[in-house]
Amino acid sequence: MKQFLISLFLFFIIFLIIDKVSWYFINRTADKEYDKRLETVVQGNFEKDIIILGSSRGANNILACQLGSEIGLEVYNLSYKGASILFQEFILKTYLKFNKKPKKILLFLDHKFTLKSDETLKYRYDRLFPISKYNYINDQLIERGKRSYGSKFIGFLRINRKDFFLKKKEPNKNQILTNCGSMPHTSRNNKTLKYNEVITPYNIADEQQEKIRALKKIQMLCKDNSIELFYVFSPSFSSFNFGFYKRFKNLVSSEKNIIVYDTLNPIYKNKDYFYDVSHLHIQGAKIFTTEISTFMYSN
Amino acid sequence: MFFNSIDFAVFLPIVFILYWFVVHKNLKLQNTLLVFSSYVFYGWWDWRFLSLIVFSSVLDYVIGLQLKKEARPTKRKLYLWTSIFVNLGFLVFFKYFNFFVDNFVEAFSFFGRKIKPNTLDIILPVGISFYTFQTLSYTIDVYKRKLEPTQDIISFLAFVSFFPQLVAGPIERATNLLPQFYKKREFHYSKAADGCRQILWGFLKKVVIADNCAEFANQIFNNSVSHTGSTLLIGALFFTFQIYGDFSGYSDIAIGTSRLFGFDLKQNFAFPYFSRDIAEFWRRWHISLSTWFRDYLYIPLGGSRGGIRMKVRNTFIIFLVSGFWHGANWTFVVWGFLNALYFLPLLLAKKNRSNLNVVALNKTFPSVIELFKMWLTFGLTVIAWIFFRSENLSHAWSYLNGIFSQSLFSLPTVRPTYLLILIFFFIIIEWIGRHQYYAIEVVLIRKPRAVKWFFYMLIIVLVFIFSSETQKEFIYFQF
Repeated sequence: MKQFLISLFLFFIIFLIIDKVSWYFINRTADKEYDKRLETVVQGNFEKDIIILGSSRGANNILACQLGSEIGLEVYNLSYKGASILFQEFILKTYLKFNKKPKKILLFLDHKFTLKSDETLKYRYDRLFPISKYNYINDQLIERGKRSYGSKFIGFLRINRKDFFLKKKEPNKNQILTNCGSMPHTSRNNKTLKYNEVITPYNIADEQQEKIRALKKIQMLCKDNSIELFYVFSPSFSSFNFGFYKRFKNLVSSEKNIIVYDTLNPIYKNKDYFYDVSHLHIQGAKIFTTEISTFMYSN
Repeated sequence: MFFNSIDFAVFLPIVFILYWFVVHKNLKLQNTLLVFSSYVFYGWWDWRFLSLIVFSSVLDYVIGLQLKKEARPTKRKLYLWTSIFVNLGFLVFFKYFNFFVDNFVEAFSFFGRKIKPNTLDIILPVGISFYTFQTLSYTIDVYKRKLEPTQDIISFLAFVSFFPQLVAGPIERATNLLPQFYKKREFHYSKAADGCRQILWGFLKKVVIADNCAEFANQIFNNSVSHTGSTLLIGALFFTFQIYGDFSGYSDIAIGTSRLFGFDLKQNFAFPYFSRDIAEFWRRWHISLSTWFRDYLYIPLGGSRGGIRMKVRNTFIIFLVSGFWHGANWTFVVWGFLNALYFLPLLLAKKNRSNLNVVALNKTFPSVIELFKMWLTFGLTVIAWIFFRSENLSHAWSYLNGIFSQSLFSLPTVRPTYLLILIFFFIIIEWIGRHQYYAIEVVLIRKPRAVKWFFYMLIIVLVFIFSSETQKEFIYFQF
């Protein structure tokens, strides 16, 4: 027994020494990333007046630098393509933990998909894995069941297969970040666009309770930190879904800070201003950004 | 509690220390600790279902004692059938109730009658198929006077609930495992080290091979209509390695853990994918279940004694029952039927016991004929696994149709190079170790400690890296 325990102990010690190698890869992984916005958030390097949260609608449909110059404030876009409201809540929580709190937040909604319980919009774990060298991020992964508790102590439990590739990641043409964090569509989509007039009724039964809780949490965080929260409905190349709008109004119990694009503006029925049904081309984004700055200026 | 969880990583050393350092001088206390630990292990999943295990154990313990006292055959038979009825009753209720109701309703609707189904929201207790068969083997062996009933209830409770093999086997026989609880266990360095090695290999099979294959097999099977024939074939191959890695990996961890506590469990997998015919495959795949069906179903039904017709009938019965044992779905029944069909030519030609040795014995490579036979057997097994994995029979059928289409000769759209490399090395190591109890039993055993430890650390690193994203449950937990 004694021999067995000594061997086990020695094996464990040697393993812990070898484990140090893993930290080389863990630390290098973050450097390979093209989009370093979340890492900058965790490092606490932001000092902005307005933060934009959302999914691809938030990332594509507003130009943060333009908004900043139009209203004379520092604006930064922290929207992530395909991100659900759960992830947006995490971004806000993390931002407030490490950075100076902003004055305003623009929360871009995904219309009827905002609270829907499907997999279209996700918790972007892929944004967390590369920066898991930060204990805060690793703890978040543990909390959400994506890492084991052992990763707190063992590097090899904190590393992914992909982390061993040392090549830097290159963005595709629709993921080019501007200085203020927006990702406008500068190219054209080859698909033909057709204006969608059909509105499917909104069904509350399709909602995910966890997403409603995330929305409430975002409201609470803003309230506790005296941040003004604006909800943004950005243009779609389809008729506006009033079913979700009504439901949302009930949830936030106020209309005051809800920004809905000008549904009567003929520009939003012109396909030249759109990349696809849900996302504006940069020309459309410029117009919508001005619409938002006008609203914020007047409020 | 799962083997691949942090809970188990904490649980195992605690039980190990208590077992060898605190209660090691008293056999009764050691067995009591094993019972307690096993109940904690099981209760971690859902403590409510512990009552089922305790009830089954106590019932069979009492019936065992009654069978010893009773000499009248009718009374003895009554005791035996009570045990069978109660144990299988639980199994049928929890596992097959909804299946029978649904099929009953469908049968009625076929004749134009519509009845409202009354299914229940039943949770399947983990491991019920395994411990039910284990405890039944005890009663049947006592009834047949092959085994003396135990007087020691603690040992019996420990035998039924022994945590390493409680939820997914191997299904141990009372004749092998129960006597080990009567004797004082001694700690042996070589046995414990061997146990650790087998646990390590089990984890590699599960986390590195099975879980990674699962990712792509699920992706392909869940969206099979949109994939090419070659991709569907790759998906079926991934599932073939997933199920082997998952289940044999669990068995390796179970056997290795038992060895840490001084117990020897029987081998459950003996490199089945190197089999030269389907009969050999079934002597090497899930051995504890195959032999259970052989001893408690095939032989009581008459076995091979009553001529060719009876042999064929009995063979089909055990394969169909074995399929149904895996789950309440017609896909499992067809899987069993298909294996019986594969078996039939060997049975008729009396060649079902022609490959008893390990393939390419004392040779490095197989002959061309052996290689051909292995490929053929493997190919047939892959086709059968498609039924095992599919959601329903029409899914399986469309999957097979998809494979045997023109697009079979196109380049697969899903081809993870890293996984193919891993599987290749895995097959090489399994081939090298095919004469052993498990693949790495003697790999590098005579090399210096530094070389051996480097190899073991490499396995641990692989397991850790591949386990860092997600933890997947063992497939056989659902059976």
